[in-house]
Amino acid sequence: MAVSQSDGERELAELIVTALNLEGVLPEEIDPEAPLFKTGLGLDSIDALELALEISKRYGFQLRSDDENNVHIFASLRSLAQHIAQHRVN
Amino acid sequence: MTQLPPVHVEGVAFWTAQLPDWQTARAVIRGESLPPQARIARPTPALLAPTERRRAPDTVAVALEVGMRACEAAGQDPAMLAAVFASTHGDLAISDYLCATLAATPALISPTRFHNSVHNAAAGYWSIGTKAHAPYTALSASVHTFGNGLLEAATQALSAGQPVLYVAFDAEARGALASMAPSRGLLGVAVVLGVETPAKPSRRLTLTVAPCDTPRPTSARSPAASLVAHNALAPCLPFFEALADPSPRALVLTLGEQLELQVGLQ
Repeated sequence: MAVSQSDGERELAELIVTALNLEGVLPEEIDPEAPLFKTGLGLDSIDALELALEISKRYGFQLRSDDENNVHIFASLRSLAQHIAQHRVN
Repeated sequence: MTQLPPVHVEGVAFWTAQLPDWQTARAVIRGESLPPQARIARPTPALLAPTERRRAPDTVAVALEVGMRACEAAGQDPAMLAAVFASTHGDLAISDYLCATLAATPALISPTRFHNSVHNAAAGYWSIGTKAHAPYTALSASVHTFGNGLLEAATQALSAGQPVLYVAFDAEARGALASMAPSRGLLGVAVVLGVETPAKPSRRLTLTVAPCDTPRPTSARSPAASLVAHNALAPCLPFFEALADPSPRALVLTLGEQLELQVGLQ
């Protein structure tokens, strides 16, 4: 499957696959606009916490579990990568 | 001294890097073949859905592997069996990670590793994977873990009148904890203990709890001994050496500083 990812999306896709130990998923094959949770990659709430932790370590800013925008921030690879681009410190 | 009524060993399983199933382990214990050169890093727990499988640490992977294999060998449905899970140290790699992270960056604890750090993680994954509603027990008794787990499983089988799965495992120690609680490699073993005489040939197991001044556990002496000697669960090997030998055997496991488990296998 050929999908078009920006450099930031590709870097985040690699972090997701590595941090969550996803089996049979290649970073370059993650559709930037597909849902990350439930359908799409099929991630769950523990994955969301794990991902938030890895993003904090890599990019130097906190993703808060009580942020009311989390549904939008974590909706897709693209939305998460855009949020990181806006807030990253590292 | 207390002797339990006999139970039957309906199924046996064994896993370590160079002895990844009971048939291989039994042949090496008997001296019929040399251990394979190939070392397998860890078993793949096919029992789990992908979400649980990708989160399962080595301890869980080996516990589920031997649990499934013992049930297969016994011809028992894993969902129907009560189970006892025993581990000397649980997952020392995760314990070391938690301690080191709490000391350095306490806000950055991995939720997955925290979730996996509890001593009954393997038992929990087992009940999720098998959809078993039967009760399970998770126990630890320091260097006496294997004998206490065996006694617990046999006692449960006898009191309930139902077969019980017994799984024991220990993994590699990491970091600072390795200096206090050393353990090398990954080792998992399992037996299904039943109370009724099974249709196929099985070994009859008689356990006797005996107070003593100093326990004198049977030493491992087979060619497999060097492959598991540095794992915390190594005291289990004499029991599997006795199972590998079709003739009647007696051995001693420890239960405590002044308590031993006398084991008869016929």
